[in-house]
Amino acid sequence: MTWRIALQLALSGLSVGSIYAIVALSLAIPFKASRILNFAQGELVALGAYIGLVLTSYGLPYAAMVPATLVIAAVFGVLLERAFIRPIVGAPEFTLVIATFAIGLIIRALIRIHWQDNTFFLPAPYAGPALAVGPLRVNPAYLVIIGSTAVLVGLLVLFFRRTRLGKAMRAVSFNQTAARLMGISVGTVFGSAWALSAAIGALAGLLLAPVIGINPEIGHLIVKALIAAVIGGFGSLGGAVFGGLLLGLLETYSGALFGAAFKEIVPFGILIAFLLARPQGLWGATQVRV
Amino acid sequence: MSGAHKLFLALAASLALIASVTFAAAPAASEQGITGDTITIGAFGPITGPAAYIGLAGRDGAALAIKEINAAGGINGRKVEMIFEDDGHSPAKALAAVKKLVDEDKVFALFCVAGSNGTIGTIDYVKEKGIVMFVSFASAPGVTWPFAKNLFRGGTTEVPRYGELYAEYLVDGIEAQKIGIISGREEYPKNEGDALTKQLQKWYEIKPAKRVEFNIGDKDFTPQLLEMQQANPQVIAFFGNPAEAAIAMRQARELGLNQPFFVGSNMVDQGLLTAAGPAADGVSGFALIPLVPNSSDPAMKAWRAKWSAEYPNLPAGRPNTFDILAYADVYVLAEALKAAGKDLTSASFIDALENLHDYRVGAIASPRTFAKNHHIGNLRLQPMQVKNGEWVQIPWEGKRPSDILKRYQ
Repeated sequence: MTWRIALQLALSGLSVGSIYAIVALSLAIPFKASRILNFAQGELVALGAYIGLVLTSYGLPYAAMVPATLVIAAVFGVLLERAFIRPIVGAPEFTLVIATFAIGLIIRALIRIHWQDNTFFLPAPYAGPALAVGPLRVNPAYLVIIGSTAVLVGLLVLFFRRTRLGKAMRAVSFNQTAARLMGISVGTVFGSAWALSAAIGALAGLLLAPVIGINPEIGHLIVKALIAAVIGGFGSLGGAVFGGLLLGLLETYSGALFGAAFKEIVPFGILIAFLLARPQGLWGATQVRV
Repeated sequence: MSGAHKLFLALAASLALIASVTFAAAPAASEQGITGDTITIGAFGPITGPAAYIGLAGRDGAALAIKEINAAGGINGRKVEMIFEDDGHSPAKALAAVKKLVDEDKVFALFCVAGSNGTIGTIDYVKEKGIVMFVSFASAPGVTWPFAKNLFRGGTTEVPRYGELYAEYLVDGIEAQKIGIISGREEYPKNEGDALTKQLQKWYEIKPAKRVEFNIGDKDFTPQLLEMQQANPQVIAFFGNPAEAAIAMRQARELGLNQPFFVGSNMVDQGLLTAAGPAADGVSGFALIPLVPNSSDPAMKAWRAKWSAEYPNLPAGRPNTFDILAYADVYVLAEALKAAGKDLTSASFIDALENLHDYRVGAIASPRTFAKNHHIGNLRLQPMQVKNGEWVQIPWEGKRPSDILKRYQ
């Protein structure tokens, strides 16, 4: 393998990994706040893409469509949390997992009722011919994906460190009872976490749509995002990003070096290795049960 | 005669009367799926998942044909009803769908608009049950070879025929000696890649310059394309689904691979152009129908108008090749059902299908011919190329005689 090929593969792996990272982030945020793993997150990715499709069909320009989609998705996230999650928030983990799984299936079924499994395409203004960067060729859509991930991570860092709501989310994630005693509205934090998570999921859908098209399965990468979150450490935002990028790179290089079959084997092999050797992930905190 | 005897005779006479009336009204009641006024056909294909573009089109094309046939009075006084099941492009789900259609819904015959992946899961069961299955899209060899009396293949052809045509076109037609193959790991694209590899070796003693595989639903083809770049073939043959091919073609151009692409027959369709955009220019392949769905030929324009009136809200890329194949194959079934007569049975239906010769519903479809010794309805494919964003026919015709039918003799 030449250096040029190795670098081209790295670029490709980072692009794929960035999408895993965004979806892993959207999984980690509500988990951090409420300890609920949202198995409907893949469908929220799909929903974002379809909201963008509908808004575009009504003639909304791309620059207005993106923020409008994120706002609509955030509102949907709040409604989801209030209507379905909060009433069962104290239920056993298994019940919560099944509930989010069911919500995902319902969203996907509702999408299918109207659009079926036809593939739609969402044009993006940045789509165009590849850019030459030295010996490398770069798809502008992939640059936007990588750039968006970097910007999103920066904004989330600022949000969690500088804003009252962000600090409240961190406090709730450390100790709900103490946070409540300090006057923090845990319910507001939960709702905000789901809103943020749904908006980030929708962003992933909008970024993916010009590259692979829109259909109800666009969010199926939830499994890879889960693996990324496990690698990085569930609840660690930096870990989710690192896990996503690492997974994207490993998948791409293993496919190039050992064949397509290994693209499927490697992620799950890594997952099992982490679960056996370091179940808390690279940056996750070890939990001691007493 | 005692009272008991009189009562017995009266009861027997009543039963005989009821039976005679019942059987007169439904002469073919012994065949499942047939009543005095309906023929029930069970259909299945993928309407969810990565191959939904074939199943949705298969279902819609078939439904349009059935609606027209029923509006014209049905078949020998009976209306056609279709029960459709999703197979999710999975052999196991396809088998479950077929078992439901045959054992619970009691359909008369099966109309398969599944891909090869789903179809192969059903073949053993269909052979065991002896029910007629008419396969519209799947090219998997097992449908028609080894020969089974109750299995028919309509619009598509047997995959070794793809291998013959592809090899001859690539080597004699565009004079390529170095051929790269990228194929999916599922049944249909793997079969196409294997058939091309085998035929290149058999007829020309050429081995592919490089053959690489991918997983169904892959979104990144950089590793495969970099291998192609190193092998530097004159043409890249790609076998998979249009969404995958579109990504691969765009990425190929981004990586500086300027070789022409050749694609499997399932992709010679508007759907690929919608997905790939300008990256599809120069792509060639063989169409299963003589006119592509967006053709400006009057026959296709008229058919498209009918289809659009029935399905006004479907996305760009529809109707596609599979809408037309299913539509045309339902008319093939209808023609045979009509010829089988009012006393319809599976045996008379098979006999009528085997006597169809060069039947087609119109210029939008290829003619279908079946025989007593083989059930491959179509051996003709139309070479096409993308020029200025549209599929156009190319004036090339294979000269080598096909070996496919020899094994049936």
